[in-house]
Parts: sequence; structure tokens; C-alpha cells
Amino acid sequence: MNRSASGRSPVLVAEDLSVSFAGKVALEGVSLAIPRGCLTALIGPEGGGKSTLLRSFNRLNELTPGAVTAGIVRLNGVDIHQGGVDAATVRRKVGMVFPEATLFPRSIFDNVAFGLRASGQVEELHNRIEEALTTVGLWSGIADTLDARALSLAPGDRQRLCFARTLALRPEVLLLDEPTTALDSAATARIESLVHGLKGDYTIVLATSGRRQAARLSELTAYLEGGELVEHGPTETIFTNPRDARTESYLTGRFR
Amino acid sequence: MRAARDRDWLGGLSGAAAVLSGGAFLTLMGFLLIDALPALQLDFLLSPSTSRLPDGTGIGPAVVGSAWILLIAAALALPVGIGTAVYLEEYARRRRTATAVGRALDGLAAVPPVVHGVVGLAVFVRALGMGATILAGGCTLATLALPAVVSTAREALRSVSPEVRLAAYSLGATKWQVVRRELLPTAAPSLVAGSCLTLSRAIGEAAPLLVLGAVSFITFVPAAPGDPLVSLPTQVFAWTTRAHADFAALAAAASVALLAAMVGLRLAGAVLGRALQRSAR
Repeated sequence: MNRSASGRSPVLVAEDLSVSFAGKVALEGVSLAIPRGCLTALIGPEGGGKSTLLRSFNRLNELTPGAVTAGIVRLNGVDIHQGGVDAATVRRKVGMVFPEATLFPRSIFDNVAFGLRASGQVEELHNRIEEALTTVGLWSGIADTLDARALSLAPGDRQRLCFARTLALRPEVLLLDEPTTALDSAATARIESLVHGLKGDYTIVLATSGRRQAARLSELTAYLEGGELVEHGPTETIFTNPRDARTESYLTGRFR
Repeated sequence: MRAARDRDWLGGLSGAAAVLSGGAFLTLMGFLLIDALPALQLDFLLSPSTSRLPDGTGIGPAVVGSAWILLIAAALALPVGIGTAVYLEEYARRRRTATAVGRALDGLAAVPPVVHGVVGLAVFVRALGMGATILAGGCTLATLALPAVVSTAREALRSVSPEVRLAAYSLGATKWQVVRRELLPTAAPSLVAGSCLTLSRAIGEAAPLLVLGAVSFITFVPAAPGDPLVSLPTQVFAWTTRAHADFAALAAAASVALLAAMVGLRLAGAVLGRALQRSAR
């Protein structure tokens, strides 16, 4: 089967995974293991299947009308599409951060509390929120203004709040879908250092169109193009010595 | 140059059309008020009974009847309509049931009000044994308003950003939690404004209530849904069919009251909607 490139046991495994939307193929025959505690970068051109693969890991594709998934996704060995598996439970274990800060039009506190309240984990609400906001480096700045509207924060802080909202659920896996794409370079740097700090504590899958970002942050890299997993392996190998000509032309910027 | 001249020409024409549209409303209101003025007295508005004679009659029972009808129609059409919209938008997206229900609602929307009255007469008045009551009127207007409530509610639900919706799901929220905590609160401002607009149209309808058997003469103010069907629009209609000249003024005065109620409901919806929007931000 899939040898995990680092030798560590995989948290997530995709086996011959195909996804189509209303008959249009977005992902075809992808098999990939995401090893525990590693940061795996998904790179490739737009429309290559990065987001679709990420959303396969937390069953988000099924919310899109006309989506059809074939193949298997395993979380800690369990098929997440199996009858008895609850999508909400999967999503609590496999958290996600989106390209744009998708905050609810409510207070900072309510945003971070959202997932905890939805799953009824309200006993230590305040502690969990403090913990999450501390992790993302926002606590000291906003501890006194938790009732302020979340949308009043600066764009970079909003995205960090999205991280906090996801981390408050103490997930095992973090799916990061182009988390810095809407941010300026200073805010991007802060998010990158946050992601760097989260490495090791979480298994992270980062979809990014920033080649340098992938090189800076990841241990493993997977290159997707046209819905196909072209190749994957240790980031250094992929970037310095890609096996496939498509990967090479993408990395050298000759793509299209 | 030619393009510029065309534009002037079009501008003039559309401007004239705009003046005509605005003018139509003002003219209508003007004539109505002039006709209504002699009859617009406080005891006319509050009179507890309608009389067969122009003197001493009033619209008290009709106002209360219309209020009852509004309440009943709202109590039925809003939960059913909003529930349907939530189902269609969130639970059955693009499935066959959604298409079927959507088509049926389109069909319902195309049914003329008077036909709603005929169906209401057969179903509510006769089959369900309600008789020509306020309850039957409210039920009939609820079916009349239902398609519009559903489509307004669907629009409102669609206005919630899909990203925020996905974010809620990604945090482990169930469908019901997403609907209750995100979709409905976010859509609430347009839901409220749209519902008030739709209901204001419904309470202005005379035709279906006339078919049901609305009365134009009643000596008491209706106190329960089981009381005889009286309403403002049917009262207006009844008075316009009377020969005596004084009834013209009564019809005009009742029309003014009806218009005021409809405009008031719309305004209330708009104001409440905006207030909800402000508090949500």
C-alpha cells in the first residue's frame, strides 16, 4: 500500500479516490497517505484538485449538490463514508480553515465557541476559548474585547480567529485551504509562523498555490494536476528532483 | 453624436414613464382622500357594527376581521412556507422531490385569487366544516400567500454566503444547527421584510373572501376565528355596489384604511428587517 514517506503511521488515507461534480471529474483515482504529525503540502495549478482532495478528508464535498465520491477515505483506519460514521464527528476531528476568513457575523467569543457549542462541549467553554486564542497569538490583544464583533478585526487577525475557531475543537488534523491567499505579506508571514508552530502537534494538510510556501512549511509534498495525483514524496525531493516532467514544469514556472 | 441624441430621447421617454407611474399613485391617493374625507371620522373607524344605512355605520368589525385573518394567515403560511424553503434549500437541494415541490408551488402561484376562493369554499368552508368564518378566510389567504412566502424565504436563505455555511459545517455543526444558528438568523432581516410584503398583499384581496361568503353587515366586532367572515376589502366591495351616494364616501374611507394597513405592514416589515440586520452586524 501507500508507504508513508516519513515512515510514520498515516492518520488519513485516500484509496483510489475519485470525486465528480454533476458529472465533471474533479479528482480521479487518488491514493495518498497523510502521515501523523507531518505537514503535507498539496500543490498544483488551479483546478488541479487540491481543494477537492482536502474536502474529501472532512466530507465537505457531499454538501455540494451533484457531488459523487467513489473510493475510500480512512481516518485512523476507519472508512469515514461508512454507514455508522457521523459527518459532524469527522469534521470535529478534521478541522478546516478556508481561503477567506469565513467568520460568523457575531462576537469574537461566539465565533470561537461555535463548534464547541454545536457539539455540546460547554463546560470549559471559556478555558477552551482562551487556550485556542492563545495558540493563535490573539489572546493578549483581544482578551478584553471578546464581545466585539468578529468582523471588526483586521483581515490577518480574522484569519487567525478562524484558526482559533477550528483549534478550539482540538482536532487531530488541520486542513488548510490556501489560508493566506487573501492576505498581504505581513499577515501571510504571521499565519505561516503560526502554522509552523502548530506543526508536530497536529497533522496538517496545506493546499497552496504558493510554491515557496509549500517549500518553507512542508515535510511532504503532493503534486496534483487535472484531478490526478502526479507524484508525492519528501518536499525536498519533489522540489529538487521531481520524477515527473509535469511537476518539474510547474515548479519551474513553465506551467502554461 | 447620434448616440447622444438617442440617449436624450430615451431619457426623456423613460422620465415621462416614471412621472406617469408616480403620478398614477398620487392621483389615486388624491381622489381617494377627497372622496373619503367626509366619512373619515373616528367613530367610523371604531364603530362596533356595520349598518345597512350609511349613517352610523363603520369599519370596526372589518378592521378586526382583517387583523384576525392576517394573524391566521401568518401563523399558517409563515411556518409552512419557511419550513418548505429550508427543506428545498438545505435538505433536498437538486433532488427530485425539490423539483416536484418547486413545480407545484409555481402552479399554486399561478392560480388566480378568485380560484383560491373557490377551492377554499370547497375545502375549508364545506369539507372541513368551518363555514364562512374568519378561520376559513385566514386559511384561504394562507394558501394564497404560501408560494410567495416560500420564494421570498428561498431568496433570503440563498443570500447567506455559501462560505459561511460551509464553515459552520466544517466546525461539526449538524444540518439543523446550521439552519437554526446560521441560516435563519442571517436570513431573518429579508425574511421578515419579505413576509410582511407578501402578507400585506394577501390581506388586500377581496375576491377569494367574497367567494367564501364574506358578510357585509354585522352588528358585533368578531372576537374569535369562528365568527362570521368580515374584512376590509370585502367591506369596500360591498359598499361600492350600493346605489346611495353616501356609500361611495364610505367605500373610499374604508379603502384609505385598507391602504394604510397594507402600507403600515410593509413599513413595519422594512423597519423590523433593518433593525434585525443592524443588530446582527
